[in-house]
Parts: sequence; structure tokens; C-alpha cells
Amino acid sequence: MSHRPQTPSTLPERAEDHPSPWPPGATRAGATGSRHHGSPRTGAADSKTDDPHGALRFTDVVYRYGRRVALDHLNLSVSRGEMLAVLGPNGAGKSTTMSVLLGLLHPQSGSVEVLGTSPRQAMAEGRVGAMLQQGSGNGLPPGQRVGTVVNMVRRLYRRPASFDVTVERSAIGPLLDRRTNTLSGGEAQRVRFAIAIAGDPELVFLDEATAAMDIESRQTFWRMTGELSQEGRTVVFATHHMDEAEHAGRVVVINRGRVVADGPAGTLKAAVTSRRLRFVADHADPSVLDQLEGVTDVEMRGRGVVLDSLDADATVRDLVRKGVAFCDLEVAGARLEEAFLALTSDDPAPRKAG
Amino acid sequence: MNTLWVFGRFELGRLLRSWKFLAVTVGFPVIFYMLFLGDHTPGKLIAGTVPWRVYLMVSMCSFGALVAGLNAGGTRLSGERATGWARQLRVTPLPAWSYVATKVTASMVVVLPVLILVEVVGAAFGGVSLGAATWVELTLLMWVTALPFAILGVFVGFMVHPETAYPVITVLMFVLGYFGGLFTPVSQMPSFLQTAARILPSFHHSSLALALLDGHTLSGLHWLVLAAYAAGLALIIVWRHRVEESRGLA
Repeated sequence: MSHRPQTPSTLPERAEDHPSPWPPGATRAGATGSRHHGSPRTGAADSKTDDPHGALRFTDVVYRYGRRVALDHLNLSVSRGEMLAVLGPNGAGKSTTMSVLLGLLHPQSGSVEVLGTSPRQAMAEGRVGAMLQQGSGNGLPPGQRVGTVVNMVRRLYRRPASFDVTVERSAIGPLLDRRTNTLSGGEAQRVRFAIAIAGDPELVFLDEATAAMDIESRQTFWRMTGELSQEGRTVVFATHHMDEAEHAGRVVVINRGRVVADGPAGTLKAAVTSRRLRFVADHADPSVLDQLEGVTDVEMRGRGVVLDSLDADATVRDLVRKGVAFCDLEVAGARLEEAFLALTSDDPAPRKAG
Repeated sequence: MNTLWVFGRFELGRLLRSWKFLAVTVGFPVIFYMLFLGDHTPGKLIAGTVPWRVYLMVSMCSFGALVAGLNAGGTRLSGERATGWARQLRVTPLPAWSYVATKVTASMVVVLPVLILVEVVGAAFGGVSLGAATWVELTLLMWVTALPFAILGVFVGFMVHPETAYPVITVLMFVLGYFGGLFTPVSQMPSFLQTAARILPSFHHSSLALALLDGHTLSGLHWLVLAAYAAGLALIIVWRHRVEESRGLA
């Protein structure tokens, strides 16, 4: 795949041509790598010479399955050492993005660079490790000794981690003599994690890695992943659970094959943990409601008031403090899926800053 | 090269540590051989100058190669594709083509000792005595021409669901065995079955060996059919692999 230097894009900047559902500052503050396309200021200068140490670069990538467009001029850059969550509903293009990154699919147009080379080359050089989405089985060869399988994969790499280090990082010590088909879901997951890191990769992909885990396995998993990132590795994981995205320093939301939001995890979490307060109030003053703590949006229909708030508790306290006479208060719970849909819908309603 | 060696050894180790696989591949041809031994007059000529006892050994060699090839690929391969292991291997430095190539190679490696084992039984109990050079020639010929069986096993693993892989393999073992003339000489079958045998690789595999022992030139037709099976099945596997690749991780 030839590298095509990025010319100033003829496409409108994503963050600019979509009204952002994110609180202001999301895209700016997210520029931990100093160079993602969300900022028009750095967009034009976003060329290879700017960051020779980039981990990933998608430039105008288009991928079609027949007539269906899975990636629609996708642009994405990730610096080395970043921990990135790729978030999106099923069918948004997450899997296709991962497949392209892993060199399993070749885009019809645009260019993809992984660790300064082609995805396939990076994979062949043993610089990339991946933990794939669980299919119908546990992803391991049936009936084999765990230690044998992990060590075999480890030795496929040019400069692997030592066996002991691999075992320690993935906490599979007690599993080494077990047969692969006797493992529980969480145990198999740890073994697959060990396989992903056995080659001491610079870049680790985790595709819906925690899908079948219980809460405890999840906690262990994210602790181990955090350690990978602290060691300076680039970690990219795809998920459709918003609460998992908070483990990443940066979150990219993909929908319909495009990046629709890009920012630090905290901002996303704030955006998606927004609560909706409904109550009835006579003669409420919209300008007072608007100034309430945490409120991002005010809607009034006759006596009915609907507030969107980033901090429902603070808003309610403030309501009482400001002496707004309200009754029939309802706070809608964590409607993560709904908020997520708002983020990934085609025409997200502009959300007013609080 | 190193990655291929590591993966190849792993694959071979898996086969040789599987007692189920060993029991089937060693047990079937040897037990069948023993069962057939007392059946006929051992000196009766079957194919040209080849007597029953030699025909039987050659047939059981073919059957052994068939059983080993089918079982080495087959169920195991189908199962590990279903669990996602094959997909996991695609995201390691292992080259994409080497997965299938290693499977076929590992199958071929286990075919050789099966052939030798049946020959040992033939020499010890079957009354077969050949010159040293003929033994070597026969073994090499039957080994090289077992390639379509090895590919057939991988083919079944690629095309068939793990739950149906075992019955499919069993049916293939006996259909190719019986109708290929490995249990009853083709010359003793009804004429329509004699015709049917000629489209089966098992018939051509044993026929080549019998021709060698009968002192014939090795007919190009046998080679052609065996090569066509190997190439045809390999092409379908490659095609299937491409289709799966084009889906990425989905």
C-alpha cells in the first residue's frame, strides 16, 4: 500500500461540519497526540513529517463490501503510547476499522499506516498483537495445554517477551497446565490476552475484548491493559460499552464509517451520563433554569419542564436553593444507550453548554 | 522460516499426542488388514501377476493413508476454525498461506509411518516379501501420491461444520475405501461399480502401487486423476479462504 501524503483535505472537517453533541472543548482538549484531524489548525499540517512516531494513520480510507460503504473517508491518527477507545454501535464500521488496521482487509482507496509501515508488514514484523472478538468458541485450539499454546504463539514473534513475563502480565500462571477446553470464559480471555501480548508488541488491538467477562474479570482485564499502556505501548480497543471507554485516554466515536466525535474519555462520559429531569412548575423563569448547576439544555412545554443535566444531584439542590416551586420530579436513570444514540445519530441535536 | 518450524512442530505435536487420532489412524488399517487376511486364497492373482496377499497389503496402505489424511485435517481443523483459533492465528506473524500448507504437511508426515506400519504387518503376517529396493520404491510412491488424501482432510475441515465433520469423514473413509476397490478388488465388482471406481482417488492411489509391483509403466492417467484431485481441492480451499478474508473480522 503506497503512502499518500495528506493534502489539505477537500472534505469538510468532521468536527466542523457536524454540530457536535459534545460539550465545548471536547475536540480541542482531546488533542493529546497534538495531531488529530478534529482541529482545523493542525489538520492541514497533519503530515508524516510532523510525527514520525505515529502509531496509526488512516487517511481518507474508503472500504466497501460490495455496494455497502463500511468506511466512508475515514481519517484517524493515533500517536504512540496513546490508549484509544473506538466506540460505535454494531455495524458502525468498528470491525472494518480493526480489520483494516490488522491488514486483513485492504481499503479500496485512501492509505493506512501502522507503525510507519503497512498493516501487513507491521504484523509480519511481529510489532502488533491482537485479541479478537470472541466467536462461538473460546478462540483457542481445543484440547491443548495452555502453556504450550501461549509459548508457541510467543515464538512466532521476532523479539517476544520472555515466557515468564508473558505469564506474569496476563496472570495465567495457575492455568498453564490446564487444557484449553476446560477453561472458563474469563480464564480463556486471560489466555487470549496472553497470546496478544506474548510477542511484546508495540501496538495492541483489543476487539470487544470484555464481551463475555464477568465484573471481576473485567476489572483484572482493565488493570492489565492499563499496565500495557503505562509501559509505553499503544493500545487501541473497540467497544460498544460506553462505560469501558473511560479506560482510554482518548475516545473516538465511529458511526456510518466516519469519525463523528473525538475527545478525551472524561468529556465523553460527561456527555453520555447526562440525566434528564422532568417536573411540573408554574411560572418558572427559563433564564433561572438555564443557570442551574449542571444544566445543559432547557425545554418548556406549558407547565412541563425538561432539563438535561450533567449532574442531576447538583441541579436538584440548586432548584431548591433558587426557590423554584416544582412538583412531580422525575430523573431518568443512566440512559447510556440513549445518549450514545444521540452521539451517533446522523443529525445530533446541538447540546447547549451548561 | 523459524515461524513455520515453530508452528509446524506445534501442529505435528498435536496430532501425535492425540490418542484418538492415533487409535483411528493406526487401528483402522491394521485391524481391517487382520480381518481380511484369512479371507481369500493368498496366492490368487488379482491384478496381472499381483497375488491377493500383495493386493491386500497395498490396499490397506492406501486405506491407511486415506484414514490418516482425512483424520489429520478433518474434525480437528473444523473445530479450531469454529472456536476462532484459526482467526487468531491470522493476527500473528504467521503468513496467511502457511496455515493450510502446514496442515497439509503435518498430515503428510503422519501418513508415512502409517504406510510403513501396514507394510511391516504385511511382511510379518501377510506373507509379502519384496526386494529392499521395491519396498523403498513402493513406500515413496504411495507416500507422495497420498497428497490428495491429505488435502481432502483439510478440505473437509474447511467446508464442514465441526458437528458434521466426523460423520462426513467416516462416510468418506468407507465410500472411498469400498468403491475405490480397497476392500474388494475392482475387477470383482459389477461393471458399473468398476466404472465408478475410476473417478475416485483411492482407486488410482492403489492402482499406481499395484502397477509398480506388476512391473507396468505407471500410467499417466492415475497421476493425472490424483493431481487433479489435489489441485481441485486446493483451489476450493484457497477460494474459501479468500471469501473469508474478504469479510475481515466480521
